[in-house]
Amino acid sequence: MTLPRYEEMWHRADDAWARAARPARTLIKVGVATCSRVVGAEETLSALRREVEARGLDADFMVTGCLGLCYAEPLVEVVRPNAPGVLYQSVTADKVASLLEAVAAGGIAREYALAVIGDRESGGLPALNSLEFVLGQVRRLMANCGVTDPENIDHYVARGGYEGLVRALQMKPVNVIDEVKKSGLWGRGGAAFSTGLKWEFLYNAKRQPKYLICNADEGDPGSFVNRNLMESDPQLLVEGMVIAGYATDAQQGYIYIRDEYPLPVERMELAVQQARERGLVGENILGSNFSFELEVVRGAGSYVCGDETGLLSSLEDRRGMPKIKPPFPAQAGVFAMPSNINNVESYTNVPLIMRHGADWWAEMGSEKHKGTKMFSLSGQVQRVGIVEVPLGTSTSDVVMRMGGGPPEGRKLKAVQPGGPLSGVVPASDVDIPLEPDPYRERGVLMGSGGLVILDDTNCIVDLCIYFEWFAEDESCGRCTTCFAGTRRMLEILRRISSGRGRLADLELIKLLGSIAQNANCFHGQGAPTAVMSMFRFFEDELLEHVERKRCPAKVCRGLVRYEVVHYSDRLPAAEAICPTNAVVRDNGTYRIDQLKCIKCDACREQAPYAIAVVDEFQPAATTLTR
Amino acid sequence: MFSQASHNSRLTPVEPAAGSTELLARISELIEDLSPDRVDLLKAFHRIQHEFGYVPREAVPLLAGKFRTTPAIIFGTIDFYSELRMAPAAETTVDWCSGPACLLKGSLNIRRALEATFECEMNRTSADGRFGLRLVQCDGTCHLAPLVRHHGRYIGPLTVSESIEWARRLTGDDRRAPPEDGARPAADEASPELAEPVEAE
Repeated sequence: MTLPRYEEMWHRADDAWARAARPARTLIKVGVATCSRVVGAEETLSALRREVEARGLDADFMVTGCLGLCYAEPLVEVVRPNAPGVLYQSVTADKVASLLEAVAAGGIAREYALAVIGDRESGGLPALNSLEFVLGQVRRLMANCGVTDPENIDHYVARGGYEGLVRALQMKPVNVIDEVKKSGLWGRGGAAFSTGLKWEFLYNAKRQPKYLICNADEGDPGSFVNRNLMESDPQLLVEGMVIAGYATDAQQGYIYIRDEYPLPVERMELAVQQARERGLVGENILGSNFSFELEVVRGAGSYVCGDETGLLSSLEDRRGMPKIKPPFPAQAGVFAMPSNINNVESYTNVPLIMRHGADWWAEMGSEKHKGTKMFSLSGQVQRVGIVEVPLGTSTSDVVMRMGGGPPEGRKLKAVQPGGPLSGVVPASDVDIPLEPDPYRERGVLMGSGGLVILDDTNCIVDLCIYFEWFAEDESCGRCTTCFAGTRRMLEILRRISSGRGRLADLELIKLLGSIAQNANCFHGQGAPTAVMSMFRFFEDELLEHVERKRCPAKVCRGLVRYEVVHYSDRLPAAEAICPTNAVVRDNGTYRIDQLKCIKCDACREQAPYAIAVVDEFQPAATTLTR
Repeated sequence: MFSQASHNSRLTPVEPAAGSTELLARISELIEDLSPDRVDLLKAFHRIQHEFGYVPREAVPLLAGKFRTTPAIIFGTIDFYSELRMAPAAETTVDWCSGPACLLKGSLNIRRALEATFECEMNRTSADGRFGLRLVQCDGTCHLAPLVRHHGRYIGPLTVSESIEWARRLTGDDRRAPPEDGARPAADEASPELAEPVEAE
């Protein structure tokens, strides 16, 4: 079967892409995604337009997505004809004039230049692919991120987009499923279940209509890989879902995006509309007799809607409370009809498998887990951003080399691999490969790939309080073990952090942790994971809180106190900044009024020599001025 | 309690509650083209909240009629989602990010400082109704951690002192800003650099 409509579309797209890939005159590419918008990429773009016009420069503009280098945003790339593009970092609107000055003179604005695109250094600038952050990455899912215009379907098609769909449409649905099974793709959302097998369940379901749902409710705080894919290359997800629809005989797809992601909602809606105009979504796709409808649904702020059955309830116009399984979604999902739910990353891998074949796809990755995976880096790390690496890459390579590790002079303490329900691994285990099994051995879940890094200024009890608070706050309220268990756990942890912890609490926490396993959905079952990791890896620190009433990192509010320990000229500034007037002047000396002090640290920021954080329950004489 | 059966049972639409005629007419107009069992309820909430800034109480019976369910279920659904609110937000609402990256970089200190400066608890409005603090979830802009958002503007990375000064400017507190570096004694060299926060419109 030939698909003449695709041939025609490809030729048209190729012309459009050639103008961006091999520009005849200077092309200025500005990355506009959530991470760059918040640091002013849109202002940079309009300043560039103004400035180019004012100077009468000969240049075109293009909006791209995000390269993953969030720490260097806003990124601007200047491509001249027949030369590699030069990437400039942190180009805020005020830097545009001096940047364009250098560019207009035919040179490179050195003070902002980050790298040249490609593998080879040029003009004294390093190559992008040789930067610590990029070296070792395998960009398959992210091949278009930051390169093409996410709002232009032609760019996607010209770079091999929808080839996978064309190939799939020429196969039988069963063979498509076999190909996905052969590749060894497992769900990227955290549960790590075989995607092909899941599709087979839906394919074998007898009733119609069948629904296909994309879980883009990336609720894990500190995780933003799906956001980047949806706003930088939305067509990849559309193609993945259409292929999945063909393979499983479904006719309707929903992409459920969380409310906190306005730009991905906007770009996905546009992408679906463009695909529909080209006949890639809708009736008789590419002239075949397969029809598939796709709709973007915007959530309204709920973490448990990221659980697959919670998402189903939310789609059914109700509270997004997870349902009891069985029946599994493949038998009775949304509207009690057969459904399949996959993560954004699971669907977006499928076009690559269909385009290049399962064998090519499985070349990357470890023995057991094939393919690449995107990870976001945040917390105490020098380079915050998104990387894509083959599964099985060592965690330290990603955290310490690509991310640059904790800030100067601090030590890595722990890594939280994916979401508040995933637990933490200590710094001593940071060499383990990034794949589910080594993490599971340590009682930790690899989750969806949001790496949050802790250093020695962070307190593990404080972090566990956050996780338990989050679990309690987002609990749907169905299971007592979850909504009451997390609340009880939170109370106990807060008691420990306020200095009233007792040894019996430790047993009580363990008991609560095992009771939580009886909750219906993973939200309740996973809630104590972080606390259990604390017992496993940071028991000394916990005991220090309970037995000696001391917080080694000096974070827990109930265990520390602020004191004036020296005299310094900065003390008046500390007095001025205090929001509760707790820095008091008495006869020319200063002291902290402990009843007023809210322990916000502002005074110590102003006068770090004079004011110190001391242990609440330690003799203060060791630190006070004599 | 919220089983499929009770949801789908075709109940008689409830009589719309009292409310100004224009308000009711406008809400009906907004949800005109929506229908039950087509994943439209969230869309209805978003449209109404976009129009009024919150979901007015009067909308609940109208939505119940439209989606063939009970006002209790509509109310429960609104209550479930943290981004939907049933009362207008304060004139100046500051969003405080609760995410882990912000937490590890000291966002709890900023929270305490903001609560004290605005004299307002988290998720509440100050006594004069001018200021509100809202807890929001992480949206992955962690390169700005710790951050607050104000009318769609992201402000970060913030130190506690910067957040207090910024909040005081909002409240119109004309207390003098802390003295500039000049007179800093040598012993104070260990003080952290006060980096300029990035402010984007």
